[in-house]
Amino acid sequence: MSNNGKREAKVTVNGLTKKFGELLVLNDISFKVYEGELLCIVGPTGCGKTTFLNLLSRLIPPTKGNILIDGKDADPKKHNLSFVFQEPSCMPWRTVKENIAYGMEIKKLPQADLDQRLNKIMELVGLTESANLYPNQISSSMEQRVAIARAFAVNPDLLLMDEPYGQLDVKLRYYLEDELVRIWQELKSTVLFVTHNIEEAVYVAERILILTNKPTTVKSEVVVDLPRPRDFRDPKFVEIRKQVTELIKWW
Amino acid sequence: MSDIQSAGSKRILKILPYLSLLSVLAIWELVVDTGLVPNTLLATPIQVIELFIYKLSHADPDGSVLLVHVLTSIGEALTGYTLALLIGIPLGLLMGWFVVAEGLARPIFEMIRPIPPVAWIPLAIFWFGVGLTGKAFIIWASGIVPCVINSFVGVRMTNPVYIRMARTYGASDWEIFKNICVPSALPMVFGGLQVALAASWTALVAAELIAADTGLGFLITMGRRLLMPDMIVLGMLMVGLTGVFIGIVIDRVEKRLVAGVRR
Repeated sequence: MSNNGKREAKVTVNGLTKKFGELLVLNDISFKVYEGELLCIVGPTGCGKTTFLNLLSRLIPPTKGNILIDGKDADPKKHNLSFVFQEPSCMPWRTVKENIAYGMEIKKLPQADLDQRLNKIMELVGLTESANLYPNQISSSMEQRVAIARAFAVNPDLLLMDEPYGQLDVKLRYYLEDELVRIWQELKSTVLFVTHNIEEAVYVAERILILTNKPTTVKSEVVVDLPRPRDFRDPKFVEIRKQVTELIKWW
Repeated sequence: MSDIQSAGSKRILKILPYLSLLSVLAIWELVVDTGLVPNTLLATPIQVIELFIYKLSHADPDGSVLLVHVLTSIGEALTGYTLALLIGIPLGLLMGWFVVAEGLARPIFEMIRPIPPVAWIPLAIFWFGVGLTGKAFIIWASGIVPCVINSFVGVRMTNPVYIRMARTYGASDWEIFKNICVPSALPMVFGGLQVALAASWTALVAAELIAADTGLGFLITMGRRLLMPDMIVLGMLMVGLTGVFIGIVIDRVEKRLVAGVRR
């Protein structure tokens, strides 16, 4: 897994810079995400993670630099981008099933393919029995699983996750982190997972990028080549967690 | 609310409303019967009920049986109201999302909005006469305002997370409007329907008071001309009852239409 030199770069970010007026928020960020990789990005609070993700998902334009997917400029209309937000993002007027199908509907998938993928992904996240419930009839952790299923369902070129488990309690988070790793292994999507939880990053990531304080840039990279399933008490796990913590320290 | 009340207070709540209504009717009857208020100024409840029964089958003295008045009023109200919905809701929704729609329609809307609908009555009589069209126009002018405002605000209140989510999937502006903004605005739109109904019904009675030959507002006017206080009160009560009836029907329709939108 750690042979990154041999892997194809799926997403290439070159010199990404964002200024709001005179305020430099992101400064010359460059990195690659490999095909099928689960890359975590951690950084101190307020380091501009949201701006960074909004640039990657093309919600706002960069001041300088570019984002290439398979060598071409990233474009939500051409590429399959997915975003899992920290806030609940299930539409209350659609059932679980209709929420999961939404991304695929926008991508205009033929109905037969859509149904097939829908059933597969619902099976994978264990939502088949809740298919016809409305979001206000399910728990908030289930809502987040719906959002994750919706994101994976479009076979994303790049799946962006913005602290998706930030608002959930610890026990549920462990469970959903395992689930995320399982879905990712099954579907081999390229995932960029942003979090401020170092333990979470070490638990799910193949590689961790550490960001600096504002103006934000990439400080360093840590490869996590631990076997799965990972164990929080494994001395190697603890060692990597300490290493990342040291790198993230800004005090 | 109900589960924090004791069983005893629930029983009281079942009885008290009837008690309160009955006492109002009794006092009303008494003040007229005892001569405290002269019968020429106020009819007793019993007289009103007698007239109600009489008017069910007799056209005189005002020219039409009660049902004709009720149906005329409902017909005018529903014509104007339906037109207000058909034009106001799409307009408000589009204004909420598309800059061009807002830029073009908003100044005109803001200019007309502060004019009370009854102020249109003289012009409406010039243009359309005292028939259905004129009154439908006045009702339309009063019903369209809440329709536009509620639809507009409903779209504006759409949770931005849904819009961002749709954008990252590459949804077009029209797709976001159709799939996200409109369903999200629906509860607000339906709230607007009730407000618009109240506004329409008020305008209807005002319009009929001034120019009409049938309708509940006309019945009230005739009561005044014929010096029949019982007919005035009957007209007033029928306006209230019919309004409640239409309100209930619209509430039912709304519940059926938004059965999916449980939140």
